[in-house]
Amino acid sequence: MPFRRKPLLDRTIAIYKKLIIEVIMDFGFSEEQELFRREIREFVRKNLSPDRYWGLLDEGETDEDWAFIMSISKKLAEKKWLTLSWPKEYGGLAVSHVQSMIFEQEVGYWGIPGTSMGISGTSWVGPSLMLFGTDEQKETFLPPIAAGDEDGVWCTGYSEPDSGSDLASLQTFAERVGDEYVINGQKVWTSCAHRARWMWLAARTNRDVKKKHHGISLFLVDMQSQGLKVNPLRNFVGQHFFNEVFFDDVKIPAKNLVGVENKGWSQLMTALSFERGLALGASGTMKRMLEELTEFAKESGSIRDPLVRARLADFFMEVEKLSLLGQESVWKAERGDIVIYEPSRDKANMDEILDELSRFGADMLGGYSLVHPMHKNSRWTRLKGMIEQAYYFVMGMAVAGGTTDTQRNIVANFGLKLPRS
Amino acid sequence: MDLALTKDQEMIQKSSREFFKKECPTDAVRDMRAKDQGYDKKLWKKMVKLGYSGLVFPEEYGGSDGDFVELALLMEEMGRALVPSPFFPTIQCALALLQFGSKEQKAKFLPGIAEKGTTWSIAHSERSGRLNTSDIEMMAVAEGDGFNLSGTKLFVPYAATAGRFLVTCLTKANEEAGNGENGITVFIVNPKADGVRIEGVPTVAQDGRCEVTFENVHVSEIDILGSLGKGADIIDTIIQQSAVLKAAEMYGGARAVLELTVNYTKERKQFDRPLASFQAVQHRLVNLMTEIDGLKYLVFKAAWGFAKNNPDRSINSAAKLKANAVHSAVCRQGMYLHGAIGWTEEMDIGLYHRQTRAMDFDGGSSDLHREVIACEMEKRTPLYKQVPA
Ligand SMILES: Cc1cc2nc3c(=O)[nH]c(=O)nc-3n(C[C@H](O)[C@H](O)[C@H](O)COP(=O)(O)OP(=O)(O)OC[C@H]3O[C@@H](n4cnc5c(N)ncnc54)[C@H](O)[C@@H]3O)c2cc1C
Repeated sequence: MPFRRKPLLDRTIAIYKKLIIEVIMDFGFSEEQELFRREIREFVRKNLSPDRYWGLLDEGETDEDWAFIMSISKKLAEKKWLTLSWPKEYGGLAVSHVQSMIFEQEVGYWGIPGTSMGISGTSWVGPSLMLFGTDEQKETFLPPIAAGDEDGVWCTGYSEPDSGSDLASLQTFAERVGDEYVINGQKVWTSCAHRARWMWLAARTNRDVKKKHHGISLFLVDMQSQGLKVNPLRNFVGQHFFNEVFFDDVKIPAKNLVGVENKGWSQLMTALSFERGLALGASGTMKRMLEELTEFAKESGSIRDPLVRARLADFFMEVEKLSLLGQESVWKAERGDIVIYEPSRDKANMDEILDELSRFGADMLGGYSLVHPMHKNSRWTRLKGMIEQAYYFVMGMAVAGGTTDTQRNIVANFGLKLPRS
Repeated sequence: MDLALTKDQEMIQKSSREFFKKECPTDAVRDMRAKDQGYDKKLWKKMVKLGYSGLVFPEEYGGSDGDFVELALLMEEMGRALVPSPFFPTIQCALALLQFGSKEQKAKFLPGIAEKGTTWSIAHSERSGRLNTSDIEMMAVAEGDGFNLSGTKLFVPYAATAGRFLVTCLTKANEEAGNGENGITVFIVNPKADGVRIEGVPTVAQDGRCEVTFENVHVSEIDILGSLGKGADIIDTIIQQSAVLKAAEMYGGARAVLELTVNYTKERKQFDRPLASFQAVQHRLVNLMTEIDGLKYLVFKAAWGFAKNNPDRSINSAAKLKANAVHSAVCRQGMYLHGAIGWTEEMDIGLYHRQTRAMDFDGGSSDLHREVIACEMEKRTPLYKQVPA
């Protein structure tokens, strides 16, 4: 039917039609994207047991767990799903941001392992190398990452005992000696260091600077180097997730410097901006938790409790909201905007919702929430242990990748343009 | 997935924002609210002339075939500009007429709304002070060619100037004839009919709320909307649609309050620095912004569902549930961040907060919508239990 607008509306249409390109506000997904979703679910059915849920960076504990994770990683690599968004020349599929988002959502919902600990390789090491690396670095380091090999597993060495939120104050020092750099110092909270073959390292190369942000450089460090020592750290319920890493005259070839010496900070900022999408996976996980809790309530009869109903409804709203916020960031990136504060906004919000949801879930499970998350096979475990996993992990999640409050600082400065505090 | 607006949508957004900015500045809002009927008839006429009241009607009824997203965008702008008008109750009723009205009813009433700006209002809630259909007590008793209505409706918006009401009644007497749940029927009633008495309720929002008493008001059978005893579905649809529209309006208001507050805290200095440089202030503002951003997408995802003729009940309800929380939060915290002056009538923020309770009520309370969502969640088979086709 042709549009018939009132005269005033007509005039304004005429003006704006000239300015605006035809687009359709659309929350739906294309046929091709839905097909991709189905393909992922098919993969899940074929390769994962419905009795084990690998959510929220759960990497298991044993070598057996790790071997299984690597086997899935390999299979994902065969489909090129580990490097979905990478350009084709580096072994990726060059898919849209929206399609990557679909993958992350599904990974979160189904708990697909093999994508998280080694994730630094696919998420920020690889993409950063594409931007700042030499041809030789790209040829050497990108293929094993894309292949999901053991040699493509990376850890990230940013934090130090005295440099956390204030990352630019880091002190681990790399000194140029001939064709080598000699590294001394300590990193801490290094996820995956006990599994990784390589470390993406931020170190100081010049102490004599006016601003601490200057004089930082990025390096590629072989974890098997002489003088490098990995010491496991356990979290408060005994899980081994991160480590401390000591450097005692560790020598690496000078060609393992990434980009320009002393200009590492801006490269680091770019790398940090690749660390986004956390909220997308987590909203998938929380959707799953919520569905499992609803089923649990149906089976236990607590679904008839008005308080339980109200809280389930509130969480539905929160998880849907978080997922939509994540979609907004993806959509902005897709149309070419530089996404600066949005991932921080979403991460802070995710921390909050996950914290509340895991506590609600524990309340729902009652006595069953007492079971240790490292014993997911116990016969007292309910909901595959995903609630306990979240309950104990959430405090780590809120700190990892920049704390909730430092994310808020970023949103304040770049989102609301408030003066620095 | 593409969250950009279409050019028609963007046009409606920009033109209405400019229009309200010019025609409805906050001083005018204060004056309009002070009027007996709670709005300015001249402004209403202008809105009608721009085609707002018939925006989503088909052409044949004098409308311009706009989609639900455009309607939501218009509500957003009204919320931002605090526009006092009978637009919302009129559209609530008009949408119900469009969907449930007979051909004759649509031909008779819709052009009047689109072209002449006849206003409508919904007389639904009663002494319980809630919108739940289970609370309806007012009776319609069969009599002659129709029914006699008796009872009292509360908090009917802009009732004193309405050209027609939609009135919900129990028609239980007819239940043996196999009529639907609760036997609720929706009647189209002329406020000028004998036996209708209207009395203003002094509300904080000054939004023309009235108590409307019906005493043996005779309504002909042809003025039943939909079918006899099937009114609960109509009310449910009205609540679902108006939840999203009201949430859109609340989003507009919430965004405006955030902007006011951000600007104020950037300008005002204490301890020799802007308030906005204090981290305690910043984090409050950031948390509010996050919720407001989230509200926006809940609202527009819900509106998109209606535009696609595929509304999602849980998303609609989630939008209103979030709006109820966010509008209240940004008004209260925004006021707090203004200090004492925020509490005075001089500042615009109070104009927004004066609407919080009315907006929470219209389109459904949080409890009502939580229950909608819970029912949907209970019904759904979770994805992980679904067998692939
Ligand atoms: C599970 C997990 C995995 C991790 N993995 C890695 C890894 O692989 N590699 C790596 O390099 N690091 C890793 N980290 C470290 C992480 O990046 C740091 O913990 C984080 O940046 C915070 O630093 P911090 O722990 O020193 O806390 P601090 O910076 O000392 O902060 C302590 C508290 O002070 C608050 N605070 C600090 N500054 C401000 C401010 N300006 N405004 C308001 N509040 C402030 C923080 O919000 C926090 O609550 C990991 C951490 C965890 C928990």
